[in-house]
Amino acid sequence: MESIALIIVLAPLAGAILAGLFSVSRKVAHRITITGVGLSFILSLVVFKQVVLDGLLPFADGTAKEVTLYTWLSSGNSIFEIGFLIDSLTAIMMVTVTFVSWMVHIYTIGYMADDEHNWSGPGGAGKNSYQRFFSYISLFTFSMLMLVMANNFLQLFFGWEAVGLVSYLLIGFWFQRETAVYANLKAFLVNRVGDFGFLLGIAAVLMYFNSLNYADVFANANNLAGISIQVFPGVEWSLMTVICILLFIGAMGKSAQFPLHVWLPDSMEGPTPISALIHAATMVTAGIFMVARMSPLYELSTTALSFVLVIGAITALFMGFLGLVQNDIKRVVAYSTLSQLGYMTVALGASAYNAAIFHLMTHAFFKALLFLGAGSVIIAMHHEQDMRKMGGLKKYLPITYWTALIGSLALIGFPGFSGFFSKDAIIEAVHFAYEADRPGAMFAYYSVVIGVFITALYSFRMFFLTFHGQERMDEHTRSHLHEPPKVVTLPLILLAIPSVLVGVIALQALLYGNFFGDAIYIAKEHQVFTDYHGILGFVLHGLMQPPVYLAAAGVFTAYMLYMKWTDIPARIQHRFSMLHRILMDKYGFDRFNDWFFAGGARQTGNLFSSIGDKTIIDGFFVNGSAHLVNRISGILRQLQTGLLYQYAFAMIIGLLLLLGWFVHF
Amino acid sequence: MIKLIFYLFAGILIFAGTRVITVKNPVHAAMFLVLSFFSSAAIWLLLEAEFLAMTLVLVYVGAVMVLFLFVVMMLDINLTVLREGFARYFPVGALVGSLILIEMLLLVGPNYFGLDKFQVPDTASTVPNTVALGRVLYTEYLYAFEIAAVILLVAMVAAIALTMRSKRQNKYQDPARQVEVSAHDRLKVLKMPAEKAQ
Amino acid sequence: MNFTVTDLSLMLPEIFVLSMACIILIVDAYLPERLRDLTYQLSQGTLVGAAILTLGIQPESSTLLMSDLFISDAMSVVLKSFVYLIVFAVLLYSRAYLHNHKLFCGEYFVLVLMATLGMMVMISAHHLLTLYLGLELLSLSLYALVAIQRDSSQASEAAMKYFVLGALASGILLYGMSILYGLTGTLELSEIAKAIATGQIEPQLLSFALVFIIAGLAFKLGAVPFHMWLPDVYQGAPTAITLFIGSAPKLAAFAMVMRILSEALPDLHHDWQNMLIILAVLSIALGNIVAIAQTNIKRMLAYSTISHMGFLMLGLLVAKPDGYSAAMFYTIVYALMSMGGFAMLLLLSRAGFDAENLDDLKGLNTRSPWYAFIMMVIMLSMAGIPPFLGFWAKWAVLSQVVAHGFIWLAVLAVIFSVIGAFYYLRIVRLMYFEEPSDTAPLQVNTDMHLAVSVNGLAILALGILPQPLLQVCIQSIS
Repeated sequence: MESIALIIVLAPLAGAILAGLFSVSRKVAHRITITGVGLSFILSLVVFKQVVLDGLLPFADGTAKEVTLYTWLSSGNSIFEIGFLIDSLTAIMMVTVTFVSWMVHIYTIGYMADDEHNWSGPGGAGKNSYQRFFSYISLFTFSMLMLVMANNFLQLFFGWEAVGLVSYLLIGFWFQRETAVYANLKAFLVNRVGDFGFLLGIAAVLMYFNSLNYADVFANANNLAGISIQVFPGVEWSLMTVICILLFIGAMGKSAQFPLHVWLPDSMEGPTPISALIHAATMVTAGIFMVARMSPLYELSTTALSFVLVIGAITALFMGFLGLVQNDIKRVVAYSTLSQLGYMTVALGASAYNAAIFHLMTHAFFKALLFLGAGSVIIAMHHEQDMRKMGGLKKYLPITYWTALIGSLALIGFPGFSGFFSKDAIIEAVHFAYEADRPGAMFAYYSVVIGVFITALYSFRMFFLTFHGQERMDEHTRSHLHEPPKVVTLPLILLAIPSVLVGVIALQALLYGNFFGDAIYIAKEHQVFTDYHGILGFVLHGLMQPPVYLAAAGVFTAYMLYMKWTDIPARIQHRFSMLHRILMDKYGFDRFNDWFFAGGARQTGNLFSSIGDKTIIDGFFVNGSAHLVNRISGILRQLQTGLLYQYAFAMIIGLLLLLGWFVHF
Repeated sequence: MIKLIFYLFAGILIFAGTRVITVKNPVHAAMFLVLSFFSSAAIWLLLEAEFLAMTLVLVYVGAVMVLFLFVVMMLDINLTVLREGFARYFPVGALVGSLILIEMLLLVGPNYFGLDKFQVPDTASTVPNTVALGRVLYTEYLYAFEIAAVILLVAMVAAIALTMRSKRQNKYQDPARQVEVSAHDRLKVLKMPAEKAQ
Repeated sequence: MNFTVTDLSLMLPEIFVLSMACIILIVDAYLPERLRDLTYQLSQGTLVGAAILTLGIQPESSTLLMSDLFISDAMSVVLKSFVYLIVFAVLLYSRAYLHNHKLFCGEYFVLVLMATLGMMVMISAHHLLTLYLGLELLSLSLYALVAIQRDSSQASEAAMKYFVLGALASGILLYGMSILYGLTGTLELSEIAKAIATGQIEPQLLSFALVFIIAGLAFKLGAVPFHMWLPDVYQGAPTAITLFIGSAPKLAAFAMVMRILSEALPDLHHDWQNMLIILAVLSIALGNIVAIAQTNIKRMLAYSTISHMGFLMLGLLVAKPDGYSAAMFYTIVYALMSMGGFAMLLLLSRAGFDAENLDDLKGLNTRSPWYAFIMMVIMLSMAGIPPFLGFWAKWAVLSQVVAHGFIWLAVLAVIFSVIGAFYYLRIVRLMYFEEPSDTAPLQVNTDMHLAVSVNGLAILALGILPQPLLQVCIQSIS
């Protein structure tokens, strides 16, 4: 099993190295990487079967769930290791990640087929961009697997940073576009803010638990639960709360939670397969996964949980609003992703980690599907992304149309589709927390319920604008409209299947059953999903709740606004121009960040540069000391006269001094 | 009586040693070195280390110093150049030298190494010391002896490597080729058209 | 006086190297010029064979042989193995250079092998006599090697200085040893330790002997103020010889210091600790500062050597096994780096031209990006920049120094290595940001290319995974 786990991780890495570093042809590049990731997926299924279905422990002949492969470094009492921890949580993440990644690999063959067009101007960068792209996404798969399979914080952090790096590389993949470079820089910098918290959290864990291994940390969590520390003098904070919030700040960066969400919409500058793989299905869920993995810690701090809950609720609702006014098809999906990540975070905050992972999984499938569908539209439209120039695409792109419909229905939580189960479970969990009177739960509850309406509204706004109504594209584009090739549509179909079915299949196991075993820990008083009444019972229960009707209302409103009375949206926009401006301005976060953080940092930097650096450090210390050293060097150099007897004399004098110094006569 | 002889030779030894580094003529210096070897050989004889004494005379006086003299005489060293700056460096040198001398005398003197501190070695052995030395040398110290031999080999290799020129660079005669040479090889008759008088 | 021939299998490497050196000496004399490469191959074969013998027949525990003159223990096995490895690489690197400079002769190989034998003797010495003889064997071979380029007056001058100063240092060392013998009545290292442990010997006499011994050792290491020979010899000797002097003998010097200080004189560590502190501080300071003013790379590397030897002494002066293993790690790492650095100079040299000025490295990146990269790795590693191997070496030594309470020493060492980073980085700058002044294409053999690449990449790879090598050093000392 160790070897299987190793192959799962290393096959994509090998693919990335081969495709990226050895100038192979395009065909070879995609074959290698697809084989590598496919191998990972199949082996992940094997692992899933053994660990989840057969209930076996993966390592050390079925006696351990974790294994240490290599001691990277030992420094004092701290030991830094590389190892794997495979339990049901890991297994489900592995399968999801490798499957979506595999689909995206295949899809990329079609999407990037004529990528050379995207590289303007001279320079060789566009020549092998195809291979480079495959290398990057394979590398991403490797990093993500390292992240989810880690058995310690250090490796988690490695994976965390590695996916961040690949994300940076891919957002800026078309680095000749200024917007792409801006976007990837922004993503990187915002993530640094989150990583700062994350790193502090890990440091706190190392400091107080004296180990970075999950097992050791969780085992000792209860002993340290009562400790409080003084971060600032005079203020006592519970250690667990500090650690959990610091770690969650990392998750806020990676999973794009308010107020660190600003990078995700811009990340759509990257090629669409990336948006599907990294910025919808996998990397952004790393934060969700991390919190679920740390559930034994979070359960010890209700303060941290409430913090998570509120942040998630804000993200879920307010990012949904932004989706309403976007015209770029990918940006709509991006804001929808933000909102759905908010849902997952809300679930975490409500201690329903299993519901969060459940939604993570269903979301991975249907959001990847939606992104790839959007990508398919973009290919067909010759890389036109503005929905105002689309419309009536249904008859040109039947497969894309139907799969996008499935994805949208799953997203809004149409009964029976996967999203229905996971989202209902989240709302149920928040309701439970509301009734248990947990701080912030009321706000969260109303946010997610209203969010359902908003979700339906923007999803179907996009759907109708794209596929129905007037054909608003120009004549040239229309004449070339046709369904993209099989490599594009096949992943759509393959992703549509789980988008529908995975909810029904996994509902009982994930929410009510003992699926996660001890991988996720939920305190007894926080458990929501206790009695199970069968699928039908769940559906019926759901049908009696407001969300379903809110979703239906959202679809209906979208239909009325964008199909029937198409002049109304413009009127609303005119009437509420203030609100519209705020939404278009994304609540002004970007401007504020640019002005306060970027501008302020530049100002401070200039100040320090001119006074501190140039005058004091450069002028006095660096150049001053360099001149001094140089002068001394020049003088000392004279000692080496080249005369033999002087050398001998120096030795004798050295001997004499040593004698005089050390021998006591 | 033995003491008298010891002090006599020790005195000569110190005198000769000092002269080695103070006389101006290198040939004289070498001769003083020979004298100091002889005196130390004599002191060794007093210690009943006959073998060592003989070896010292044979090897150092008989071989090494003779060779040394040849070299010194062949090189014809210019003394005046060597003497330059002597006066300038003398005070410093003398100071440092005497300091070290004092430090050494303080410790390596009768205070710590006097006869009362160390017994006189038991020389009433049944075997002559040549035999004793030979036995130790070829048994207990065989390894060291071998290495010493290797050092000599290296010295030989090094000496040859540094001095021997390959044949091409050396000027030498090959009598066989000289005998076999024929006029044909040495002499070439060129026919040139006679210049016509204008 | 019973003498029994014991099992000599542990001495087979020494016997093998000596026999092969003699065989090569004879074979070479009868080889026609065109078959001269056979000498080279035989020499390399000798080293490989010795390595097999050394690694194949390892002692289970420390074993004394030949009336306790010879010791075979874990440290000797490790150090000898690295000596073979380094000498092997040295011969490989030097081959083309020797051809180009008409130095490719049998004597070179015999002398190198004899020097190797000298190092082995030193590493395995358990007796002041063998230690001294091994040292002389090594030194004599080195003197001859420096002078082997007879037509070069620079080389002859260097050899002369090396020889005279070396003889003086040997005299000092020998004088210290003789006093020690006078005090303890034995030359065997463990017996000396026992005699001192009784506490009946006057301490000031012991310190007196110790000063002379330390001075002799300091000369061999090249520590200030006994370092004067080093820059002149490094610069004067042909680069291939400098490569040799600058690498493997440092391992032997380390072994010699270890044998004397930790095995024979552990009870005097309060004394030698303080002496080493002075020597180390002076070496690190002077080495790093004066290196800045050099324009000749060989000379610059010589001063860099001096500062590295200071670091090595930092590890030793802790006087604990941990410190010794850190110092050993440092020595091995240093030898690997120095080897790579000089190899790069060999690479840039060709017939009638020696690359030895900083300007010769200008624009190496445009001439050959790969070699510029390797050289950069070596220079950054020497400067002690993570993640390269040199960083771990410095880290290992400094962490020991700090752990034993010499924090001011560590701070000083760090300050001076920051100053020292300047001249390493200057080389990087010259290679990458200057126009080449010499555009002649590099002529590199495949084996040389491979070896240099392996050397550079090893520094990189071991820098990322330093644990195995560090572990070897820790295990061999305990």
